[in-house]
Formats: sequence, structure tokens, C-alpha cells
Amino acid sequence: MHEYEAPLKPELAEIIKVKSETPSIKTFDVRFVDKKLQKQFAFLPGKFVMVSVFGYGEMPISISSSPFEKEFIQLTVNAVGNISNAMHRLKKGDLIGLRGPFGRGYLLQRFRRKNIVFFSGGCGLASIRSAVLAALAKKDMFGDIFLFHGCKSSKELLFGKEIANWERRNSLNACVSVDIPEKGWKGHTGFVTDLIEKKPLPVENTVVLMCGPPVMVKIAIQKFKDLGFKPEQIYASLERLMHCGVGKCGHCNIGREYVCVHGPVFSGSQIEKMHLEEG
Amino acid sequence: MGYFLKKQNLIPYLAHLNKKYQVFVPAKNHNGATCFEEFSGQELCLKERTLYSVKDLYLPNKEREFFFEKKHGSCKIHETIKHRPRIVFGVRSCDLHALNVLDKLFLEFYGYDPLYKNKRNTSLVIGLSCSEPCETGFCASMGTNKPDFFDLFFWEKKDGYFVEIGSPSWEKLYHKKFFEETEEKKGTPIEDCKLELNTADLEDILEKNFEHGIWNSESKRCLSCSSCTEICPTCHCFTVEDNFLLDDSGTERYREWASCQLQRFTKIHGAILRASRKSRLRQFVMHKLSYFKQQHNVHLCVGCGRCIQVCPVKISLVDIAEKIRGEGNA
Ligand SMILES: Cc1cc2nc3c(=O)[nH]c(=O)nc-3n(C[C@H](O)[C@H](O)[C@H](O)COP(=O)(O)OP(=O)(O)OC[C@H]3O[C@@H](n4cnc5c(N)ncnc54)[C@H](O)[C@@H]3O)c2cc1C
Ligand code: SF4
Ligand code: FES
Repeated sequence: MHEYEAPLKPELAEIIKVKSETPSIKTFDVRFVDKKLQKQFAFLPGKFVMVSVFGYGEMPISISSSPFEKEFIQLTVNAVGNISNAMHRLKKGDLIGLRGPFGRGYLLQRFRRKNIVFFSGGCGLASIRSAVLAALAKKDMFGDIFLFHGCKSSKELLFGKEIANWERRNSLNACVSVDIPEKGWKGHTGFVTDLIEKKPLPVENTVVLMCGPPVMVKIAIQKFKDLGFKPEQIYASLERLMHCGVGKCGHCNIGREYVCVHGPVFSGSQIEKMHLEEG
Repeated sequence: MGYFLKKQNLIPYLAHLNKKYQVFVPAKNHNGATCFEEFSGQELCLKERTLYSVKDLYLPNKEREFFFEKKHGSCKIHETIKHRPRIVFGVRSCDLHALNVLDKLFLEFYGYDPLYKNKRNTSLVIGLSCSEPCETGFCASMGTNKPDFFDLFFWEKKDGYFVEIGSPSWEKLYHKKFFEETEEKKGTPIEDCKLELNTADLEDILEKNFEHGIWNSESKRCLSCSSCTEICPTCHCFTVEDNFLLDDSGTERYREWASCQLQRFTKIHGAILRASRKSRLRQFVMHKLSYFKQQHNVHLCVGCGRCIQVCPVKISLVDIAEKIRGEGNA
């Protein structure tokens, strides 16, 4: 069930590359100092690691690289607060701590021969990207692949070049929307959830994999259901405060579930039964 | 046949154990509140269960998890120190059951917690029977009145204790100077609790009444003081924090109790997921009497009644649950 026996102890990892993606988002390529650990590290897209920035604390971050990449792991971090800003100050060669991978990811292997709709908002594309990379690497296994992504402005578009590349190579059908367009923006404008009705999608034999802010997840699930998707065709990653990642600290508890171990990816039928908005 | 320990032998017995072990006993702390304190020959508080539970010995209010040593640009992770083997004396039946629930979470569920395991696996537990029901307890309703999960259990008799054996480790606690053979029998658990809670299908009934009006009315009185979660023997939630060491030799990671009764418990991206008192009070009661049972098939509440005892406005999870059963959706 679990990779580590004593799952609270971080393992050291070295930052081998830092790349600025947007004004507030950076991607870090990291590698375990212990070579054996790096080799053994296997994960499903959608899983996350607890990242220690020593002196600042620990935060849950999804793995954004492909599960087939064995040399390093990519973490795409939005600077929103104390720990994430401290992480942004780190440079190549600096050490961080990693625990994990934790949680349940997107079970791509179950979607053989199905069409996949990836759906993300903001930094949610981090975990979705890992799943997209995995699906594209085994493209013959799946039907048509779609990607819907929304962000606040074109400046804040994450992995923009990569999305364009995927499109150019006809690997997938991408549809990016920005809330507030800037000069020169040629794509869609408005909330990404508004694209659901506009874009013709096959409902039959299709699954939706989703990660983004809570409001987006809520509206998107409803809209997909209105199109005729059944709850069990939809999977969404939920975000909760997390202080341990292993079902002990209690912060991520929703009803009978702990998001860190029973999620973060839940099926639409599970989500229907959860008390997502407690007020 | 069993063993018997005379009352006048209790202190000498504990002093004997103290030679090899760190011994904890029910006693008053510096504020006069009863809790488990290190044995120092002080007066024992054996009349009623302690205000603070044994939880504090295994999940202290604040403790260091790791120390990250920084040297020449490298970093070493040190785990926190080992503990002297412990004996905890005087643990009531409800607290024994509470320890069992904590064991499930911290030793079994998704990997063990090294800090908890360190203290728990090196400690022996001697239970103690209750002669009077507590003022706010309902252990008989929760089935936690029957002692279990102990190494030895002391049943109080007129001039001593009948000693029940609970685990193979009991021999470490045996000493022929203090234990004599007896024909006496073990006692009976408390049955006449002052409060009663019907637990039949309770987890489902509460789940179906997530929007019951009582959450609104009771939470209007709640002060979000978090006394209930602090005193609860099974409330275990914690927050993790890092500190820099003053001499810059490294950093350390602490964990500290956290409470679902506070807004910061669920604060993400500027949104607070349980922003209202209603949702937070409901979280406490639901976790105790519904969610945990759904997950682990055992209630997270052991019926000790401490939360009712300490609540400044006398909110009672027994009242809430009974009222919902009486008026709610079946
Ligand atoms: C399963 C999971 C995967 C995640 N993956 C990524 C990722 O790939 N990239 C990324 O940039 N972020 C990700 N996050 C969110 C990230 O964990 C938080 O942004 C981070 O913990 C903020 O820490 P901080 O110290 O910088 O912020 P703080 O100073 O703690 O707070 C800053 C703000 O962020 C909020 N916040 C704190 N913790 C969380 C949290 N766990 N979830 C959401 N908001 C939080 C605070 O409430 C506050 O509003 C993920 C969260 C979860 C639960
Ligand atoms: S002790 Fe009472 S007032 Fe305080 S948080 Fe708990 S229920 Fe509310
Ligand atoms: S993050 Fe600690 S219980 Fe889920």
C-alpha cells in the first residue's frame, strides 16, 4: 500500500533545473540524492509529493512530469504564500525534502480505448500535464484526446508552448481560454467552463479528468452532466489543506474521506456524496 | 487463581517500577488539574478519571519531528531522540479504548508515525477500574466501559487491587514481593452511566441529517474555544511547522495540536472551507460519531464525557445526537 515504512521522514532531493513558466509559476526539475530512490520512484499521474523547503515547512505539490521520465521529477509551483515563495527563491543545486508519492491518481490504465477530456484551470494543469504526457506516450491505447484549459490572462498561461506543440503534432485537440484577454490573444475568452457547451464532444465512451479551483470543478461537473456525462465518467482532483499526506493530521478530512489518501482524485459518483461545501 | 496487590503496596510497587522505567501516574499538574504526570512519589489522584487523558503522553501538545542539519551546503535529517521505556499506571477503560483508536491511526493506517510508535511501542499500560460513574460519561453506551488493550488491569477492591492480565508483556510488570496469589475475582465494569447515547445506526442517522436545524441552533452558542477538541482523548489533528535555529546550524520541524473548531484549520487560497461555526461544530460531532465509524468501523468517541465537562456553554454531543435521532430523517 505504501512506499515508505515511516512516511513522515522526508528524503533529500536536489534541484537540477529551475524554469520560470509565468510571472508566478516556476517548474523545478528535482532528483533524489539517493540514486536508488530516484530509480525506484514510480507514480501515477495525479499523485502528489509533500515538498519540504527547510525552515519554511512542507506543502503538497502534484508531480507535473511524465511517469515515464525516470531521471528526474518535475514540480510546478505557484508562489502563493510562505512556503511556495520560499521555494521560488531556491536555485539549481539547492536541496529540498520529498515524501511520497501520496494519494490516488488518475487511473489511465482503466481508460483503454476511451476518449479522454483533460480539463484544468490555473495551476491545476500541473497534475493534468503529467496525465497528458502519459496518455500521449501511449497514444495508441486511447481514443481521441481533448484538453481544455483556462487561466486568468495570457501572461499566466502555463505550458503554453507545450500545448501549442501538442496541437501542431495533432496529438490532441486543445482549447485554451483566458478570463481577461490581452492584446494579441487569438484564443477563446471567458471562463473555461463556458467552452463545455460550445465544443462538440463525444459523450459515449469518454472520460473527463479534471483539476482546478473548487468553483471550476463544481461548475464543470454540472455542465458535463448536463451534456449527458454520467458521474462515473468524470474524475476530479480536490484541493484541501494538507499537513501530513498520510491520513493523520486531519486537515484534509471531508466526511468519511481523507483527501490525501482516498483522493485527491475522486470519481464524480464519489464527489456527489461528499459534503464539498460545508459553509 | 489470580494476583492481588494491597493498597499499601501501590506506591512501593510504582517506585520499584520507576527504577527501570519512566512511570506516569494520575496526579495534579502545576495548575491543579488532574492528568498523567511523571511519578515522583507525589499524591496520586485515583478517585475519578483524570481531566487530561493519556493522549498527551503519546501526542504531546507540541513536539519536534525532525532536525535538519545544514553543513557545507549539504543537509542531514536527524530523527528525534529515543524515549526511555514507559509505564503508564491508572488508565481508565475509556482511555484504553482511546489509545486503541489512536493506534489504528498512528500505527496502521497508511504507514506508521515514527514519533508515536517510538513512545507507544516502548510503553506498558496498567489500567484501573472505576468505582463510580463519571458526571458526564457514557462509556456504557459506547461499549468502552469494558477494559481492553491493557498489559495489566487493576480492579479496585476494598483493601487493594485484583490484577487482571491482558498481554504477554505482563511479566515485565510482575514482582513477587508485591503480588500475592488470591481467590478473588475481577470486578464488573461501570454500567450505570449518568448519560446514555443510543448508538444503533448512529453514523447513518447523523449522515442523513447533515442539514438538521440543531447544527444551527447549537452552533449559535458555541464559542469556538476548541476546549472540546483539546481535552478529547482521541482528537489527534496537528499542524506542522518549520523553524530556523538561531545559530543557523539548521532548521527543525515541529508539529502542534490543531483544532477543527478554528477557521485556520481549513484555510486554502484565501477561502475557508469550514468558515461557519455551524460547519465546524458539525465536523467535531460527525467525526466523533459518524465519519470515523464509516471509515474504521469503530467510533472516534469513547464516551469519556470530557468535552461535555469542559465546554463553557455546555454543548453536549450526546444531546445533539439524541435529538437528531428523535426528530431527524430516519
Ligand atoms: C493534492 C494537492 C496538490 C497540489 N499541487 C500543487 C501544484 O502542483 N502546484 C502548486 O503550485 N500548488 C499545488 N497545490 C497547492 C499548494 O499545496 C499550496 O498552494 C501550498 O501549500 C501553499 O503553501 P504556502 O506556504 O506557500 O502558502 P501559505 O502561506 O500556507 O498560504 C498561502 C495561501 O495558500 C493557501 N494554501 C495553503 N495550503 C494549501 C493547500 N494545501 N491547498 C490549497 N491552498 C493552500 C492558503 O490558505 C493561503 O491562502 C496542491 C495542493 C494539494 C492539496
Ligand atoms: S468546548 Fe463548547 S464552546 Fe468550545 S468549541 Fe467545543 S463546543 Fe464550542
Ligand atoms: S493531509 Fe494529513 S490527514 Fe490528509
